[in-house]
Amino acid sequence: MIQFATPFLLYLGVAVGALGVALALPRRGLSPQVIGAMIAGVGLGVALLALGLKAGEARPGIYFYLFSFIGLGAALRMISHPRPVYAALYFVLTILSSAGLYLLLSAEFMAFALIIIYAGAILITYLFVIMLATQAPTAEEIDVLSEYDRYSRDPIISTIAGFALLAVLTAMLVGGLEQPLHRAGPSDSVSSAVLSRKVEPVLERTYGLPEEARLVRVEETSATVEFPNGWGGSDQLQIFRPLEPGETMQFDLPADAAAENIEQIGLTLVGGHPLGLEVAGVILLMAMLGAIILARKQIQEEEGRKVAAARGGLTSEGRS
Amino acid sequence: MTSLLTLGQAELLQQPELLHYLFVSAAMFAIGLIGFLTRRNLIIMFLCTELMFQSAGLAFIAFGRHHMNFTGDVFVIFVLTIAAAEAALALALVVYLFRRKETLDASAWAELRG
Repeated sequence: MIQFATPFLLYLGVAVGALGVALALPRRGLSPQVIGAMIAGVGLGVALLALGLKAGEARPGIYFYLFSFIGLGAALRMISHPRPVYAALYFVLTILSSAGLYLLLSAEFMAFALIIIYAGAILITYLFVIMLATQAPTAEEIDVLSEYDRYSRDPIISTIAGFALLAVLTAMLVGGLEQPLHRAGPSDSVSSAVLSRKVEPVLERTYGLPEEARLVRVEETSATVEFPNGWGGSDQLQIFRPLEPGETMQFDLPADAAAENIEQIGLTLVGGHPLGLEVAGVILLMAMLGAIILARKQIQEEEGRKVAAARGGLTSEGRS
Repeated sequence: MTSLLTLGQAELLQQPELLHYLFVSAAMFAIGLIGFLTRRNLIIMFLCTELMFQSAGLAFIAFGRHHMNFTGDVFVIFVLTIAAAEAALALALVVYLFRRKETLDASAWAELRG
């Protein structure tokens, strides 16, 4: 029963969501935005319910539903709010709830990097540009929005296009992923085996090893340590005989020697994708150069216009 | 139920749970697409592309956790880089276009359609 009801519920949810989004978009005449948003929320709820029924016991926790409702609701409000500044602020809310979802996926570093870079840097740039690029309001009409902000273009057609895409993706999720995905094992390149500088102090602390003990080799679960000058042994380790100079011993790695999230990201980034890192640097440099060139051009044009106005000559139309 | 206190331990993301994240990511992408198609303000259109970047990032992270490696996280770093570069260039262009025609309406540039 459930396996027949689930795809039906899922598609019903997607269709109801499409109806709600189409109603929520601003347009000429009557645009029932609040009702549309509520209908879209119901559609999202039905779709998530269908996925939850399908998942059975393995469904995600309450925080997932909380963050995804906030995130998608803010995204809908972002595309339907007539005021650009509010749309940008709703996008910040979407970013914050995406960061919550990242935290649920235990990607802590990316969650906070997302908040810092997106909500902190990129969105501030957007807000600046929104405020730069608006007509100064005249005295009598302070609160009037421009026509292109109040009405959207072909809301029905674009909603159909967007939700056709969503329906195709959902069909893939329901039908195409019935077979278990090929799952790569935990990546072997990233482990404590490459973090010898981190492992050494942890070993010294845990086992009370002397200063001159030297780390020879680190494997997945154990580490080999060499004692160049010999060692008197310790009660803690149940070693009661003095060790020969140059003797090696194997120790089990303690739990806190494992690589943390940010260390593993760094190792994957620099060890696995060095070319991508370089290319990203070049792209950022090019973007900076491009932005500087565009900004310079504007200033020169403005100055040219001002000079022309000061000379009282022909006013330029702004066509360079 | 996941508690916020036990989040630090990375556990394998089971496939039914992965489907939830992928659905949210797909829905976010669809909303961004609709916004890009339907809004007429140039800045909001670029904001909608940022929303689509976001949804791709969520899918990357979910798949990365499903496979228990960090390639997804690394790709999100690249996505953030591209988004920052795109924001810098696109917004400079938007300001430039605004100075030309004193409007942000995308259909004011309809002659570019050819």
